[in-house]
Amino acid sequence: MEATVLPSEEEEEEERKNRFSINDDVDLLIEILERLDGRSLGVAACVCRLWSSVCRRDSVWEALCNRHVAGGGGGPGTRSVVAALGGYRRLYRLCVGPALDRLTGGPGRSGWASAATAAHLSLSLSLSLSLFSIDCYERLDGPQASLLFLCKPVNVP
Amino acid sequence: MGPYPLGSSTAASGWAAADSGPQCSASEIDGLLAGAGYRVRSSDLLHVAHSLERLESAMGGAPAGYLASAEAVHYNPSDLAAWVHSILSELSPSLPPLRPPLAAPVAETWPDPTCFSSPYQQNQMAVVVATRQREEEEGSAIRLVHLLVSCADAVQRGDSGLAGNIIAEMRVVLTRVNAGFGIGKVAGYFVDALCRRIYSPCSSSSCSASVAGSAADQEILYHHFYEISPYLKFAHFMANQAILEAFDGYDRVHVIDFNLMHGLQWPALIQALALRAGGPPFLRLTGIGQPSPDGRDALREVGLRLAELALSVRVRFAFRGVAASRIDDVRPWMLQVVPGEAVAVNSVLQLHRLLGDPGDDAAAPIDSVLGWVVGIRPKIVTVVEQEADHNRPAFLDRFAEALFYYSTMFDSLEARRGAAQQQQQAVAEVYLQREICNIVSCEGTARVERHEPLVRWRARLGGAGLRAVHLGSNAFKQASMLLTLFSGEGYCVEEVDGCLTLGWHSRPLISASAWRADDDVAPLPDSQLFDPSIDATINVDASQQRQQ
Repeated sequence: MEATVLPSEEEEEEERKNRFSINDDVDLLIEILERLDGRSLGVAACVCRLWSSVCRRDSVWEALCNRHVAGGGGGPGTRSVVAALGGYRRLYRLCVGPALDRLTGGPGRSGWASAATAAHLSLSLSLSLSLFSIDCYERLDGPQASLLFLCKPVNVP
Repeated sequence: MGPYPLGSSTAASGWAAADSGPQCSASEIDGLLAGAGYRVRSSDLLHVAHSLERLESAMGGAPAGYLASAEAVHYNPSDLAAWVHSILSELSPSLPPLRPPLAAPVAETWPDPTCFSSPYQQNQMAVVVATRQREEEEGSAIRLVHLLVSCADAVQRGDSGLAGNIIAEMRVVLTRVNAGFGIGKVAGYFVDALCRRIYSPCSSSSCSASVAGSAADQEILYHHFYEISPYLKFAHFMANQAILEAFDGYDRVHVIDFNLMHGLQWPALIQALALRAGGPPFLRLTGIGQPSPDGRDALREVGLRLAELALSVRVRFAFRGVAASRIDDVRPWMLQVVPGEAVAVNSVLQLHRLLGDPGDDAAAPIDSVLGWVVGIRPKIVTVVEQEADHNRPAFLDRFAEALFYYSTMFDSLEARRGAAQQQQQAVAEVYLQREICNIVSCEGTARVERHEPLVRWRARLGGAGLRAVHLGSNAFKQASMLLTLFSGEGYCVEEVDGCLTLGWHSRPLISASAWRADDDVAPLPDSQLFDPSIDATINVDASQQRQQ
């Protein structure tokens, strides 16, 4: 019977250098997560703290939304407007996601299967943004109640 | 009534001779049917007719092949009353007792129809009984509609005694119909409105206010109706699309809203202007609305909220509120139209309120309003109106039209039944109920819901000097997409000569159209348009904020 040869210190070091973890390269992680569909992103957010923080970034949801709207989404102007209205993550949750579910026939279907068909559906960006702006407006209880605008006083002559 | 097509049923297997048994006196037998070979007592005719109708629906409810599985029995169809009764009693056990048969000895020789041993019989009884209940309800519903129309006719003729009697009868029938949905509910509202018309009529605008409720209530009802149904959303989206296209290329734009409510139409326009190629213009919004009695400046509050939204998306925005209880009280100078800006006038369900007769020789309100609207040379006038004919001079015509229109409308609301939205739906229905009440029970200046169909509006607006602007395929596509998102079964968008209508099952219920001033119409003189001494706007200038 031979004693198991434990890897020596140098060999372990070597292995550790060669072993690659996706968590080491956040940019790569972002690139990959940007290509997921809504449901998968939700699942990914539950993996670990790093993944959760990446999934909270608006850029990931922006990529997702832009994939599903006709014309591939607007330019930087669109980004600032959407940010002002509440962000792409909220836009997806409130407008784009439910719309896609409705267009593909229901959220009961497997998220992975419907992602393929959803890619061919083009939602109108202007329609989604209109609905989103109405939602944002309805959330405004009044100038005093809204925390978002505390730093920008309204000039009332 | 001819012989029934029984298909594969048992009656095809022959019947006993028709001329057996003693005859009844010839005077009792109906002569016309006797010529066709059927012997029915004249007094039985109504009963037989009803039984035949029930038989038809019962057989429609019974599954195919049921009758074929029954054992063969021989019947004599020439005695129509007994024949149809025996068939019916096979299919449903709870029948009223048959009148005494035509000739007693003949009945005794016939086999007892209740001694069937078909295995399917018991199972299908429930289906048939349910069918009978449904027919009874349908029968009651039809009766209700018939009563409503006759009551309206009595009211039109001035016969309030008869009308009162019919109302009492209708209340009885209403207890037999499911008053929670469908025709029962709509009929209930119309009965209440008729009651109000007969017993407490109102023909002055002061008492119509009690019917309408306070302005704040009206806003809440409007909001719920907006949430629960796509009609107002459709209206807003179409109007915004037309306004957006008309504002293309202008740096200063001014929107005049005839009925601000909560300003739900404008966030979408503000957002669309923010994203417009070339940057957003300077947007001014003038909102006309009801004055609030309790000192709270509702218009200003809405203006502040819109200003907040505009600030967040970097659109320079200014708001002005004009409190007026009627649109014809508004004068052009109150709107502060600045020369050089592109003006849009937006009227959602407002113009029909101006169609009342002015009395004396004052100008009709609609003409004076359209006059100054055209005079301010707007780039676009968006008009949304109900697609209904509720302004005919004869009360009965209005009533019948309203019954049809609101039945369809309530139908469409019910199709969206979701447990989470019951309360919202109930409130939205109150909104419609108030309209019904106004159309049916008010007259004169109190009756403000004077809906007219699109063709009449076209003529009226064309006559005032406005030219139609086609809404375009973009608007149509947006409308269709909106409906798909909204749960679009049953709703239909149609394009009629450049105007879009939204309807339920091919009955259009609301129409949206766009107009612009004719080029050869003279504008109003500047003194009427602009009074520099008045300046009470809420000004939000985002460019100032950026410098901070």
